[in-house]
Amino acid sequence: MMESLFYMAGFVAFTATVLSLSRTNATHALIYLIISLLAVAVMFYLMGAPFAAALEIVVYAGAIMVLFVFVIMMLNLGQAGEQRERQWLAPRIWIVPTLLALILLVEMALAITQISGTTSGVEVTPKEVGLTLFGPYLLAVEIASMLLLAGLVGAYHLGRRSIDRSRQS
Amino acid sequence: MSETTATIIFALVVLLGAVSAAAVLTWFERRLLGIWQDRYGPNRLGPLGIFQVLADMLKLLTKHDWVPPFSDRVVFVFAPTALVVAMMMGFAVVPFSETLYIIDIDIGLLFFLGMTSLAVYAVLLGGLASNNKYALLGGLRSAAQMVSYEVFMGLSLMGVVMLTGSFSLQAIVLAQVDGWYCFSQILGLYVFLIAGIAESHRLPFDLPEAEHELTAGFHTEYSGMKFAMFMLGEYLGLILISCMITTLFFGGWLGPDWLPGLFWFSLKTFFFICFFILLRAAIPRPRYDQLMSLGWKVLLPITLLNLVITGALALSLQGAS
Amino acid sequence: MTGSTTAELIPFIVYFGGVILLVLTMLGLSFVLGQRRTNKATNTPYESGVVAVGTSQIRLSVEFYLIAIIFVIFDLETVFIFAWAIAFFELGWQGYFAILVFIAMLGVALVYAWRCGTLEWGVKTRVGLEAKDN
Repeated sequence: MMESLFYMAGFVAFTATVLSLSRTNATHALIYLIISLLAVAVMFYLMGAPFAAALEIVVYAGAIMVLFVFVIMMLNLGQAGEQRERQWLAPRIWIVPTLLALILLVEMALAITQISGTTSGVEVTPKEVGLTLFGPYLLAVEIASMLLLAGLVGAYHLGRRSIDRSRQS
Repeated sequence: MSETTATIIFALVVLLGAVSAAAVLTWFERRLLGIWQDRYGPNRLGPLGIFQVLADMLKLLTKHDWVPPFSDRVVFVFAPTALVVAMMMGFAVVPFSETLYIIDIDIGLLFFLGMTSLAVYAVLLGGLASNNKYALLGGLRSAAQMVSYEVFMGLSLMGVVMLTGSFSLQAIVLAQVDGWYCFSQILGLYVFLIAGIAESHRLPFDLPEAEHELTAGFHTEYSGMKFAMFMLGEYLGLILISCMITTLFFGGWLGPDWLPGLFWFSLKTFFFICFFILLRAAIPRPRYDQLMSLGWKVLLPITLLNLVITGALALSLQGAS
Repeated sequence: MTGSTTAELIPFIVYFGGVILLVLTMLGLSFVLGQRRTNKATNTPYESGVVAVGTSQIRLSVEFYLIAIIFVIFDLETVFIFAWAIAFFELGWQGYFAILVFIAMLGVALVYAWRCGTLEWGVKTRVGLEAKDN
């Protein structure tokens, strides 16, 4: 039962990713990517990692994808995109993602109650994740914080040029 | 009747209850604001004007179900739907009493945070799909606001998680038998309260819909039922945030034994709903840059401070006992 | 075990189905009951009564990108704090000092973003640049 659920989630993740890659419209591709990430969250849950599953939703689907949507809005692939988009506005494009999302949701709901029978045989509770991260891997956590700081500095300096430009004009 | 059947019935009660509560809230809010501002508010239809809700519903249902031809049609319809679904799913983990809850998972709090973070898409996609300048700007603005406050919202709850040692909402309620977290986590409560208003973009933090600048923000092009769904999502968010404040900081369904837990839970939640409505009447809307500075420069440091203080106090008290 | 947990889950599925049904009913009813009208200006974008100029493909200010980046970075940092908070008492003082260092790094990031003016909206003035310009 758990194994078939796992392979179903894997199939959804795979299909959604392929579809996301093959889309020419950025917004539609992103929605497929979000579905793919939610599928990966279900896979994590089935493998006995509820904390990783929750983070997959909070961080990837909830934060990083939001950044992607922001970028799409800011680039606003306007004129050329608009005409192309009209061709693709057929609602049938949306049938597949909706179906995939529905399968996933039912599966996630099913999976939530069946924590005991995990695919890997070992369940990792959120508490264990915390104990491991701040135990043996403490150094990695501190390095991660520095890496994130470096990321912030880098992102700022990439965006700085346009800030200066907008100031001058 | 088996336990499962009872819970299924309860789930349907929650479903209908939440939607009707949100509908009644539209009338209740106008009445309460009316009293506050020394006027009547809607008082014509039925006792105290409560049938105004039905009248509004009929009016919205018979409006032109218009999807702008210049919009990304499917995303346009999908956006308000996503908001209502995400907000409604948030109620699935709320413990209404000791036995009355839909599901109690060990990552309940993270589930709630995940659902609120998915609500950002409704605003973003609604603004993007409308293909209208106001909607685009409003969508971007509200998304920036929502993501900013999401960070503190998660962090402000970590004090509660630290003291409980669990993400399960039922466990958090039970841990408050000896004392509500609203005292020991006063800073967390303060930040969560503000972040909650900003997250459900209610007045005074309704900048995405600031009428004088952006007409109606991300839902400028929305009308009829799809507009109503955005409003429904907003009111559901208000109720959900009130429920979460009650659960996380005010002992949830805990209360004197002579009345059931559901009563205490509803009473506390109702109190916070009134608080949010009256807040709207009392405080003017800040400027957008003020709102963002408040978040990053005041609330984020406060949350971090709260974590540091809570950690030190809890550990030294534990060592002393 | 699995039997009882599946039983716990059924209400959740029913609830989810109910939510979907409710949303579809709302959309469906308004589609069926709604009036239909086509006036001259029905299908034009709303722009406060003025005829729309240009498209909505406008350039947006870079603040939004920066805020989104900062949000992602801080969200990732909160995840580590989540992991610490859940095992707070088990980790004890050792974990507390570890997170203190971590929060200090977070503070440095915040101060950096603050000093750079990333958190300021409106006209950008980077610290150290005003003197040259004025």
